[in-house]
Amino acid sequence: MKKSYSQLGKGIRKLKKHGLAMVAFWVLVGLYLSAIFAGFIAPYHYDNEQRSLSYASPTKVHVIDQAGKFSWPFVHKVSQKFDQFYNRIYVEDKTEKYPLRFLAKGDSYYILGMLKANRHLFGVDSQARIYFWGADSRGRDLFSRIFYGGQVSLSIGLVGVTISLFLGLFFGGISGYFKGKTDTLIMRICEIIMMIPGFYLMLSLRSIFSYSLSSLQLYFVIVCIMSFIGWPGLARVVRGMALSLREREFVLAARALGVSDIKIIWQHIIPHSFSYLIVAASLSIPGYILGESALSLLGLGIQDPYASWGNLLSESMAVSQLKFHPWILIPGAFIFITVMAFNLLGDGLRDVFDPKMDIGRKF
Amino acid sequence: MINYIIRRLLFFIPLLLAVSFIGFVCINLAPGNYFDSLKQNPQVSQDTIRLYEQKYHLDQNVFTQYYYWLVNISKLDFGYSFAYKIPVFEVLKSRMFNTFILSLSVLLFSWLIAIPLGIYCAVNQYKFTDKLFSFFSFIGLSIPSFFFALLLLYFASLTGILPAGGMHSLNYEAFSPLGKFLDLLKHLIIPTLVIGTSSIAGLQRLMRGNMLEVLRAQYITTARAKGLPEYRVIYLHAVRNAINPMVTIFGGSLAGLLSGAALTEIICNWPGLGRLMLDAVMSQDLFLFAGDLLMISFLLILGYLIADIVLAWVDPRIQYQ
Amino acid sequence: MKVIKTVFSLILLLFLPFFIAHPECACAKNKPKYGGELVLSTVTDPKSFNPIVSKESNVGAIMGLVFEGLTRTNGVTTEVEPNLAQSWEVSEDGKVWTFHLRQDVNWSDGVPFTAADVVFTFNQLIFNLDIETSSRDVFTIEGKIFKVEELDKFTVRFILPVKFAPFLRGMGQEILPKHLLEKVVSKGKFNYHWGLDTKLEDIVGTGPFMLSKYLPAERITLVKNPNYWRKDKQNKRLPYIDKIIYLVVQNQDVAVLKFEQGQIDYYGLRGQDYPILKPKEKEGNFKVYNTGPDFGTNFLLFNQNRDKNKKTKKPYVSEYKLNWFTELKFRKAVACAIDKDSIINIVMNGLGSRQDSAMSPSAGFFYNPNVEKYEYSIEKAKVLLKEIGIYDRDQDGIAEDDQGNKIEFNLFTNSENTQRLALANIIKKDLEQLGFKVNFVPLSFNQLTSKLDSTFDWDALILGFTGGIEPHFGNNVWQSSGHLHAWYPKQPKPATSWEAEIDKIFNQAVQELDRDKRKQFYDRWQEIVAQELPLIYTVLPQSIFAVRNKFGNLNPTPYGGAFHNLEEIYIK
Repeated sequence: MKKSYSQLGKGIRKLKKHGLAMVAFWVLVGLYLSAIFAGFIAPYHYDNEQRSLSYASPTKVHVIDQAGKFSWPFVHKVSQKFDQFYNRIYVEDKTEKYPLRFLAKGDSYYILGMLKANRHLFGVDSQARIYFWGADSRGRDLFSRIFYGGQVSLSIGLVGVTISLFLGLFFGGISGYFKGKTDTLIMRICEIIMMIPGFYLMLSLRSIFSYSLSSLQLYFVIVCIMSFIGWPGLARVVRGMALSLREREFVLAARALGVSDIKIIWQHIIPHSFSYLIVAASLSIPGYILGESALSLLGLGIQDPYASWGNLLSESMAVSQLKFHPWILIPGAFIFITVMAFNLLGDGLRDVFDPKMDIGRKF
Repeated sequence: MINYIIRRLLFFIPLLLAVSFIGFVCINLAPGNYFDSLKQNPQVSQDTIRLYEQKYHLDQNVFTQYYYWLVNISKLDFGYSFAYKIPVFEVLKSRMFNTFILSLSVLLFSWLIAIPLGIYCAVNQYKFTDKLFSFFSFIGLSIPSFFFALLLLYFASLTGILPAGGMHSLNYEAFSPLGKFLDLLKHLIIPTLVIGTSSIAGLQRLMRGNMLEVLRAQYITTARAKGLPEYRVIYLHAVRNAINPMVTIFGGSLAGLLSGAALTEIICNWPGLGRLMLDAVMSQDLFLFAGDLLMISFLLILGYLIADIVLAWVDPRIQYQ
Repeated sequence: MKVIKTVFSLILLLFLPFFIAHPECACAKNKPKYGGELVLSTVTDPKSFNPIVSKESNVGAIMGLVFEGLTRTNGVTTEVEPNLAQSWEVSEDGKVWTFHLRQDVNWSDGVPFTAADVVFTFNQLIFNLDIETSSRDVFTIEGKIFKVEELDKFTVRFILPVKFAPFLRGMGQEILPKHLLEKVVSKGKFNYHWGLDTKLEDIVGTGPFMLSKYLPAERITLVKNPNYWRKDKQNKRLPYIDKIIYLVVQNQDVAVLKFEQGQIDYYGLRGQDYPILKPKEKEGNFKVYNTGPDFGTNFLLFNQNRDKNKKTKKPYVSEYKLNWFTELKFRKAVACAIDKDSIINIVMNGLGSRQDSAMSPSAGFFYNPNVEKYEYSIEKAKVLLKEIGIYDRDQDGIAEDDQGNKIEFNLFTNSENTQRLALANIIKKDLEQLGFKVNFVPLSFNQLTSKLDSTFDWDALILGFTGGIEPHFGNNVWQSSGHLHAWYPKQPKPATSWEAEIDKIFNQAVQELDRDKRKQFYDRWQEIVAQELPLIYTVLPQSIFAVRNKFGNLNPTPYGGAFHNLEEIYIK
């Protein structure tokens, strides 16, 4: 078996020995897969309301039936009442059992926007509802909305960082390679952008756009805002690499051979910066996810009825009400886990490639 | 030294101008024009409209507006807030003070805890406590500030021990000075914890790293060989050398603080510059927005400047560049 | 026998002190104490301190403590009582009223209150065409105003063009000081006078309290007026309370917690706050009062303004949108898309009721429950829309009208009110089922009211009006020329036949002194409103508030709320 001696190959082998980072890696793989197959995992469409079951508590799944015997998991139909203090009380109608069905038919959905399907991982007949993690104010299943929300929140991280990478590669590469006035100009611009505290810059940029954007346009705007804030950081990394690499022998050789500058940047400088970029990218993805969550939390980002982890949390801002439906905080846990996973992965990758790397250290 | 300060100022001031210009342009580009709606509002006098046109040139293009805004700033006239109907400077004064208090509190909290923690972990490297604190600091770094704030506020509202948000109790005015101070402290706890936790995490790891490096140095071995008691080795020699590099990140940590504070301010209802910014954006309050951004950038730059000066003072090498 | 009598008398004597002392003890307990403060909260800063010019309810609430009228309405009985006027006579034809003013009233700066102030307030302020006030609409009938003249220093005569049924109640209109405002009015600056940057000592009234301090976005403090004329039964000067503090708590969730922690004395509950506060009554030493449906109205409305912007010459509402909004079936379809039961359940936590009529059920006598009601039915709404050519022809999810315009419009409401935001989101979802594309934008309250009364650049709004028991005080809303005729204010002449009919109803009903005959008019008005739907009513919250138990003389009523008799309230 031939071992790969490329940087990437070496890196991956070393990473495999880094327990925590591998765990983080698989967690992320799981999360992104769940985003792709959100429609399948979620028993309901994100917009499927049941207004009479506002803030329903997580549905009890029973395994022991009335007679005290073990039974295939089932749920009861639930209806809502108010007690004397107008607390919501959910009463089970024990007369009928609704078995938990796997590969159940339900709301239709699209996988990756192309494949239409309507089988879900689990579900119950439409007379009852299964709220695995409770319902929100309009009776929508939080479990379903979290996975649909993951599609938005997780993808914004990837798309945003990709755009930033391109911008950073372009500007950083030129800046470090050509030096001189271009370098100074580009670096000054980077400094200016990095100087503005991220949250304020985000608000400023968001204010430019009107409120009546379609959801797709809004998604695009948010991604662009995040990329705009993020690219200077990556550009500086690339510039640093370009500055040091341009004096290396193979670059000098290429120049002597008359290879064009652009080709040098593309074929030599960038591949050698690869490891640094991977680390920088994975350590900055959390920033994008957190940025979008913050905007959506404040009502400036993804709007109802679309779900994103940030806007799912916006209902929890009514702190005094949380004791009645604390499950509204669960999306926050997802953001937390995702951020932690990316941090662990980035940390691990950094240790693997070069522990002395000074990228993305947060204070 | 003076030269160095002047050079840094020459560097920072254009930066400040550029940042404020970007902000000014952004809010101007926002759809809808508050000035137009003012003109049509019968409750707004012609005198006020004329004032806006002549003093602030709100009827002209962005560049002219910006120029006159700068001119007025130099006279300490930050303009008028459309929403609050009072001079922006008045609004900023109190908010800036509040943000400053919070930042100071976080700074003290995080440094006073992180440094000793870092030292302790370095000295007890690889022991269980070291690993435990490492783990916690990682959690602290990763937990989203708003999530942490919401969790803390939730528990505060359940138990009622801590105030769930805000800066003052409503009967604040009636307290004695000591009472006022204690009340402030009570309200500072949750926001400081939220912002400070990630600060502590990073600082502690850095301090630990620095200490570990220093402890391997030759002069430490020498000190031990000389027979110095261990505590003198650690605190007199190692710590002093390990702290030096920390000064470099002081400015940067202030920056992160001011930025991260905004979202926490909003969630904890702390009436600071961050909360103000959100209100200004929502109501398209041009002067409030621009003034707020200027203030925050100014505080930031002040932080960087102080950090640079302290560093130059501490490390003679930097001055000769 | 004598012994028994003696013993009996002895026993009586023994117990007598208790009998005599008891009333004294009761007195001591009920004896009002001076001092203390009442802490209230408000969600937003007032827009100004000028009660004549402003139309917002929070300004009215605060300034209602500073200014008073010739009469006032008793919060318990809802009867009209003398106030600044101690007595009055009316002529046989009901058109000439003579008020005899109190002679012991001074403005808070010490200047005596006289008939000149009353004449000034009406002639120079309310009836002054240069001043933008919606009070004028209430006192104008068929274009005619009152004649107000000073007979002597303490006597004022009102000559009405026609009989005016709610006249006495209307004389609760605040009177403003001539000696401070006359110059301002003559210079034409009254519209922007007494704004938020005024020196508070310059705002002078005859009421029990005066403005003392204003910290923007934080608090408004009022202190007691030491010159207030009203005295209690022991002839001691009122009010008892020293200070009233309005705290600006932008976030209602924070306000609830602060009330729980004892930092505010009064809190107006939303339905969702009830399960938080009601169980804690004993422990928190407060009481939660539920006084029935709120007095106001809550609605969705569409912009039917047919005018053009005088500066840009462009119509306020694009013609194609105007075609939808002025089409009755469009509005009826929207009314069928309002899921009132779910809104009550979700937004008001069950503590609300459907609103179908232009008056609240709490209004009592003039309320008409027999109006057209709209049940929630998306199918019915779609049928109605199809009848006017609106349906989704190209299956893209958005309906078009028969000119091909996509049904898209903006919807605004105020961001401070979390219930309205939740309501708006539900309505938006339902309108989307009809194929409408709704761009929902929350605005600050002051921005919203600016759109409503100056710039008119809105398509749909979700709003509420305060209300009371007297329908005519809504004249500023219902007259087609009214300032608050929200869907098309200040019309030069009625734009539709039903608006003309409502104008006629209000003009006739106000002159009808027989209550039952008046009711017939207002019943018809409420029928028309439910048919023509200029305002599409939604739901009414229950009026629920919590007050700390530390107040004496507290007498909450549905009409008066908790503090209708604020000057008599003291802290135990």
